[in-house]
Amino acid sequence: MAEVVTRLDSGAHKITRDECAVIALDGVSREYVGRAGVVRALDSATFSIVAGEWVAITGPSGSGKSTLVNMLGCLDRPTCGTLKIDGVDVAAMSAKELDRFRADKIGFIFQQFHLIPYLTALENVMLAQYFHSMTDEAEARAALEKVGLGDRVSHLPSELSGGEQQRVCIARALINNPPILLADEPTGNLDLANQQIVAELLKTLHAAGHTIVMVTHDPEMAALAQRKIALSHGRVFCHPVQNVVRLR
Amino acid sequence: MSKFGLGKLLRRSLIHRKARSLSALIAMTVSAGVATALLTLYADLDAKLHHEFRSFGANIVVTGTSDLAAAQKAAGSDANVAQFAYAVATTDRGTSVVVVGVDFPAVRKLDSWWQVAQWPTGADDALLGERAAQFVGDEKDVTLTFAGQPHTFKGVGHVKTGGDEDSRIYTSIDTFQSWTHVAPSVLEIQIPGGAASVEAAISRLKSALPGADVEPVRQLVEGESSIVDKTHTLMFGAVLLIALTVACSVLATLSASVLERRRDFALMKALGSSQGQMMGLFLAETLLLATGGVIGGYCLGSVAAWVISEVNFNTASLPRVGVLPIVLALNIGIAAIAALLPLRVLRGLEPAALLKGE
Repeated sequence: MAEVVTRLDSGAHKITRDECAVIALDGVSREYVGRAGVVRALDSATFSIVAGEWVAITGPSGSGKSTLVNMLGCLDRPTCGTLKIDGVDVAAMSAKELDRFRADKIGFIFQQFHLIPYLTALENVMLAQYFHSMTDEAEARAALEKVGLGDRVSHLPSELSGGEQQRVCIARALINNPPILLADEPTGNLDLANQQIVAELLKTLHAAGHTIVMVTHDPEMAALAQRKIALSHGRVFCHPVQNVVRLR
Repeated sequence: MSKFGLGKLLRRSLIHRKARSLSALIAMTVSAGVATALLTLYADLDAKLHHEFRSFGANIVVTGTSDLAAAQKAAGSDANVAQFAYAVATTDRGTSVVVVGVDFPAVRKLDSWWQVAQWPTGADDALLGERAAQFVGDEKDVTLTFAGQPHTFKGVGHVKTGGDEDSRIYTSIDTFQSWTHVAPSVLEIQIPGGAASVEAAISRLKSALPGADVEPVRQLVEGESSIVDKTHTLMFGAVLLIALTVACSVLATLSASVLERRRDFALMKALGSSQGQMMGLFLAETLLLATGGVIGGYCLGSVAAWVISEVNFNTASLPRVGVLPIVLALNIGIAAIAALLPLRVLRGLEPAALLKGE
């Protein structure tokens, strides 16, 4: 059932959720063929996420979270169903088009940071620019300053703490202004202090209007989100929208 | 900060994995070095082997004429030509011995493989074969009789070849002719170069010396040709074998490199790198190592060729620039073959699983 939101402008204008969705799944399933037969990792997922929304995806191991996140990140394609990201049906894209699309639309924040060990913080951010379009050192510096690492730009990942590495990862995710930030357990590898730093950073980003899709086991992190999408045995259970969604 | 791009990525990546990069670079340098050395020697091989074979004596025998001038002209100025006149004389002990009249300087050039302690210089000097020396009473005072005419020679040294020469006594051709009045009957000729040069010289000699019998020394000509061909084949085989060995070594290094860095490549994919960009980056690293190996290997190989040539042929083999493109193509070929399997691994990377930590 399409949910109805009210646009915050001068006119009383009601539009459907699907019309302003930045992510829209309709009957999306993903099957894998294994030795034991066909395994349905995701079963008929149908939901949408609108621009500026912060959604937490929760569920136990084996529930299909990774499968769902892979598809939202355009690293995998549905076996059936429709997946639209920013209005574009990704299932119809070629591999090359998907690579390009991913660079434009998705900013990844990984649990294990995944910074290139032989590149500095600045160069790790510029790497995302390199594969997107062209590098801009000034922009990359600004992104690092935004996450509080303006004085650590020349440091290698091995010279940064876990929290700092995750902030570099966030700067890298933001550098190409993607409509969607996909965070996979962003605080999973951090101590309490750094978890709080990263959580605050995500809150700031959300307040600035970024769309965040976050996979998390941490109930405190999940509580920061506006909405939870729970998975169990490949099936999606959506919590209703709590607040009015502010459109960008 | 210097511009961020492919160059910086490559440089940093190679420096970060010093041990692996060095291992691959050494392997590529070895292959380039061996290829350079063998190809440089190969280019000179014909000339050097033919030069060595020249010391084995004549490769053409002409009988039925004594026209030295015509033979020299037909054979060419770089050919060695010597006359031989034969007679059977009797020693002072009553033993028959073959006496040969020769031009000693010409024979010395023609048959440089003869083991001679001292070559005759005087008109009545004689060179005694190892076995022939036993037929005479006093080597310093050798009296030989031909057709009732005695002549005394002074033996100055022995010649040892292991062949018929050991049973003969060699004297100056002028002294021989004035004593025996026997004209030279055999011309031995040494033509530089291979079988083709010898055949060409035979044609010229037959034209210049009608009525003479011109024959190649088949065993020498065919043996020389066979040895040169076999040496060429051996060299090619060695280069191929070493190239294969190096390819296996580089394959192992590159495969390990890809496996170690699969998360880095998965990240690049997630950031929007296309399959082509990723594989291009990997290939660029490989080709950089191949090219670096060529530079080092060409220098080392040229030095090795020079040393081998000096030790074996007493002449230098100079570096050949023409060998460089072949060595470069070979090294790039090795690198490309070695990269096939790692590229396949790259193509099959699953970024999602790798970035999740699986």
